[in-house]
Amino acid sequence: MNTLKRYVRPEQIRELSLVLLIFVIIVFFGAQIEGYYSGRTFNRIAGDVAIIAVVAVGQTLVVLTRNIDLSVGSIVGFTAYFVGTQLARHNDITLPWAVLLAIGVGALMGLINGVVIAYGRVPAIITTLGTLALYRTLLVNYSNARTVIIDTLPKWVPELSRVNLFSLGTLEFRPMVVLAVAMVVIFQLVITYLPYGRRLYAIGSNPEAARIAGFPTPRIVMTAYVLCGALSGLAGFMFLARFGNITVVAAQGMELQAVAAVVVGGVNIFGGSGTMIGALLGAVMINTLEQSLRRWLQISEFWRNALLGLLILLAVASDAVILNRLRTLWARSGLQIKADAVQAQVQEESRHVA
Amino acid sequence: MPGDAKKPVLEIRHISKRFDTTQALDAVSLDIYPGEIHALLGENGAGKSTLIKIMTGVHSPDQGEILLDGKPIRIGNTVEAQAYGIAAIYQEPMIFPDLTVAENIFISHRDQGAILRWGKMYRAAEAILGQLDVHLDVRQPARGLTLAAQQAVEIAKAISLKARVLIMDEPTASLSAHEVTQLFKLAQALRDQGVAIVFISHRMEEVFEIADRVTVLRDGKFISSKLRGQVTPEGAIRDMVGRQVEEFFAKGQTQRGELLLSVRGLGKEGVFSEVSFEVYRGEVLGFAGLVGSRRTDVGLALFGVEPADSGEILLNGKVERMRCPDQALRLGIAYVSEDRRALGLTMPMSIVANISLPMLREYLSGLGLIKRSAEIAAAEQFRQRLSIRAPSVHVEVARLSGGNQQKVMLSKWLNARPQLLILDEPTRGIDVGAKAEVHHMINDLAAQGLGIILISSDLPEVLAMSDRILVMREGRPMGVFTRGEATQEKILTAAMGQNSGAGGRV
Amino acid sequence: MLRRLEWLRRWEGLLVAILVVVVVVNAVQSPVYLSVENQINLFGLFIEKIIVALVMTFIIINGEIDLSVASVMGMSACLLARLYEIGVPVQWGIVMALLTGVLAGAFNGFWIAVVGLPSLAVTLAGLIGYRGIALVLLEDRSIGYFPDWFNALGQKPLVGPFPLALIIFFVLLVIAVVVLQYSGFGRYVYVIGNNREVARYSGVKVRRVKMALFIASSTVAALAGLLIAARLGAVRGSTAEGFELDIITMVLMGGVSIFGGTGTLTGVLLSILIILNLRNGMLLLNIPGHTQTGVIGVLLILSVLTPNLGQEFRAFWSRRRRTGLAPAPGEEKGG
Repeated sequence: MNTLKRYVRPEQIRELSLVLLIFVIIVFFGAQIEGYYSGRTFNRIAGDVAIIAVVAVGQTLVVLTRNIDLSVGSIVGFTAYFVGTQLARHNDITLPWAVLLAIGVGALMGLINGVVIAYGRVPAIITTLGTLALYRTLLVNYSNARTVIIDTLPKWVPELSRVNLFSLGTLEFRPMVVLAVAMVVIFQLVITYLPYGRRLYAIGSNPEAARIAGFPTPRIVMTAYVLCGALSGLAGFMFLARFGNITVVAAQGMELQAVAAVVVGGVNIFGGSGTMIGALLGAVMINTLEQSLRRWLQISEFWRNALLGLLILLAVASDAVILNRLRTLWARSGLQIKADAVQAQVQEESRHVA
Repeated sequence: MPGDAKKPVLEIRHISKRFDTTQALDAVSLDIYPGEIHALLGENGAGKSTLIKIMTGVHSPDQGEILLDGKPIRIGNTVEAQAYGIAAIYQEPMIFPDLTVAENIFISHRDQGAILRWGKMYRAAEAILGQLDVHLDVRQPARGLTLAAQQAVEIAKAISLKARVLIMDEPTASLSAHEVTQLFKLAQALRDQGVAIVFISHRMEEVFEIADRVTVLRDGKFISSKLRGQVTPEGAIRDMVGRQVEEFFAKGQTQRGELLLSVRGLGKEGVFSEVSFEVYRGEVLGFAGLVGSRRTDVGLALFGVEPADSGEILLNGKVERMRCPDQALRLGIAYVSEDRRALGLTMPMSIVANISLPMLREYLSGLGLIKRSAEIAAAEQFRQRLSIRAPSVHVEVARLSGGNQQKVMLSKWLNARPQLLILDEPTRGIDVGAKAEVHHMINDLAAQGLGIILISSDLPEVLAMSDRILVMREGRPMGVFTRGEATQEKILTAAMGQNSGAGGRV
Repeated sequence: MLRRLEWLRRWEGLLVAILVVVVVVNAVQSPVYLSVENQINLFGLFIEKIIVALVMTFIIINGEIDLSVASVMGMSACLLARLYEIGVPVQWGIVMALLTGVLAGAFNGFWIAVVGLPSLAVTLAGLIGYRGIALVLLEDRSIGYFPDWFNALGQKPLVGPFPLALIIFFVLLVIAVVVLQYSGFGRYVYVIGNNREVARYSGVKVRRVKMALFIASSTVAALAGLLIAARLGAVRGSTAEGFELDIITMVLMGGVSIFGGTGTLTGVLLSILIILNLRNGMLLLNIPGHTQTGVIGVLLILSVLTPNLGQEFRAFWSRRRRTGLAPAPGEEKGG
């Protein structure tokens, strides 16, 4: 048992239980819904999750530092639209450049967030609430309320979301999905093995100690926001590839889905703990549950929000109550300095108090 | 063997620092030698912590310089201080609860390379802790470590950074006696390896047990620096205060009144159990015990902050269920917390608002509106009675000096007209001069007929102030001693469970 | 007392200056700006938001936040509309909607005050969840054609030139000022916001206060939802979407600290006037709604950024003056 405790932390239990939950959901709905175990179901879920997952990776970076980014939805929408119009106007832009453009624009928007939050010391909630509005306004003005039509885009764009990279049995793996998984893996490695990644945890865990230890906290936080913006930009490109037709309300509300995925995935809203894998699992679970419920109960997509809200609440509540109890249990058993013999103590004591 | 033949590792030359209107340090010079435990003494406000902050790069001096191995250095920030080998651990260790112990130790290292090697880090952490003879699981998150364990981690951190000067700022304040011993062992081990240790404490007995050299500051000025053999506690106190002072106020005779509080079999699952005692009007009941004996928890149960599960509380003969602080206040019980900074006052509010807060309902009209004149009158009364120095009672308490803030806090609780006053470590972290004032006040209050529970880890204080002493250990009562029969040894023995007969583990 | 005036000089004084500038610019742009009719209209378009802002002030001073208010507004309006759609008389719909507000507030309050979850997370979940309920009720339909008396309450003047909503605002404003500045409850709100533990140890019933505040917040939001239904004459699933931005901006720009413990209704009132005049001015300039929202977003950020920068500057210069040395970042005072 003790070896188990050594290598498995409470957070990992969270992730394992998510995997279990997903498994249970799939099995349950598989029995209820005809044709559930099909490539189509997989694609539908995977396609949605891919975009959210990329945004969730960025959001995780920010949340680890005890901040939040509510503007990601607007960033995704704006970059999707912006890159879409550029592609429509200049059909000769190649894939790498299009992706770079999306990432660059997203990074710039993230930079604004980062500077205001890290250096202007405006709380993240306020800043990103403001930029959520500001960036959406930017989108509306830039677009003059017009739509990007899929037909104007170079053919390879919508193809991206339909092409099949490789297959495992009936499950097709498309570029977007592979990209999303790649991002999760890459950034999971970053936060596990790079000093920069560990500093994110440190800042969220104890900002005061981080300050005293001399960390360049503003720079680290700002970079997190730039990365979050860049990832949102990437997600914007993926959004464009998936939907083709981009309106001014594109990706509106996506920030809430990203936060939900992150919170359900076990990332602590107060920072300091959580993983990319958890965020991915969170996104998968939410989406799977939602899509399955819809097909099963024939309920409209309007139920999504209500469900999301409930899930966030449950996740945060269970974290606060269960996880903390688990943590103290873990700590109490393995961590105290071993005490000396009673006799020695008595002798020390009587000497100690003069 | 510490001696003056060595070269100092750090020389502080004529350092001055001013904040607004206060001259925190005035041309202070002193030498710090390697392989010595150097105690720094002084009252609150003497300039100790300012000096420390300058040494660690938090502040920069207005004048003067610091020499490392004879060469002047400029310490611009904490990172630079670290690079010079100057590290500090404070009363509240700064650890990262979500990171592992090993990570906490190495988190400040700049040279970890592009990729972290977890295996290597764990092994290195175990090596350092092994050096210190400390046993912790380096793979676990640091959350939940005891204070003592956290300090051990901080010391490990300093060692890993090859610190040459380790500053310990009041490290023992919240440690149990056993943990203090462990800490001293660590300090001595480091000293023997050549590290210079600067040790700040208010506990004379600790200082004189462990220090090799004793320096005294007073009002920002350097007063004296002598080897331990050349100085006595009385002498040191005299230097600190500038005059002869008795360390403890001699207790006058007080009349014991009727039974005020009777506690029978009070228990809280997993915290304390079978606690029974009585408090009479006009008497001071001391609660003695080592840190971890759960005396504060009993106090919190009496005050309704963390109610007990079982047992009875009788106030003036009537059974009362303590459910919340509001109720306790109504019944005339007041609790002055040990954590004064965080739990005492509402800083942006005025003296008036702070004093009236616990009793606010008495200042409300029928509609729930505050009767300003009534609360101002109360505040004025306390201003006079306790000589609170402030331009007016409408001033923000944030602007008052520490001592005056203390008085406002005391006024706040006295205004609640308590019958029973529970004081939790009232003189912790207070210098010798102010301590006497507090003791004086406690005696006054007892003389006025209040029942007082004095929770204190300062054994001499408990012995000097109490009429009777209840000793607790790990949440169980170990016995009650009257003033006449109590000695330090008896109390300590009881506090450590020697007479429990049950042979419990330590 | 003197200190009060000093504070006025700093933040609220600034607000007064800005207000004057905005009003003057608007008046110059449009000659009809200063007419009584226009001024009442000014309030009219945003009256529901400013009503909720009054309660939000309490919540933020208390050190919490309620992101779900706009969604509760929507949910309340949609409930009324849905009930009306299936034939329930509007009077009962009103009662049910208000009840829903109370329940939502109690629900929020339970998780925040009793269980102790962070209000940010809980009300974020509420923002999403209550909007979800609103959408489920009305899906993508639009319900209108409420009885004339209902519409009249929302659109026509009730007493003199003032419509019902404005009267409600004034009444709530008076109550809010009295409670916040002069009552025991108000002082508790401040103390808890400044330091929850100090309040608790001083005998303040923290949980009760928080629960009361969140119930008040959602109930007033539900009321505001009804008012907007009456004013617009129609309700959709997306009614009141995004209102929380304006509401929070009004409060924060009024000098209320997001961390709790400080702020006044005077400041909030001034900031409300600024935002209303600003929005109205932009409207008259035919600046589209989305752009207005963007401007408000920038305003929100500036309202916190500017005092921060101002503090930095002041501290920097005073240190410069005193010691002639450049200070380390994050330097604190103390001995």
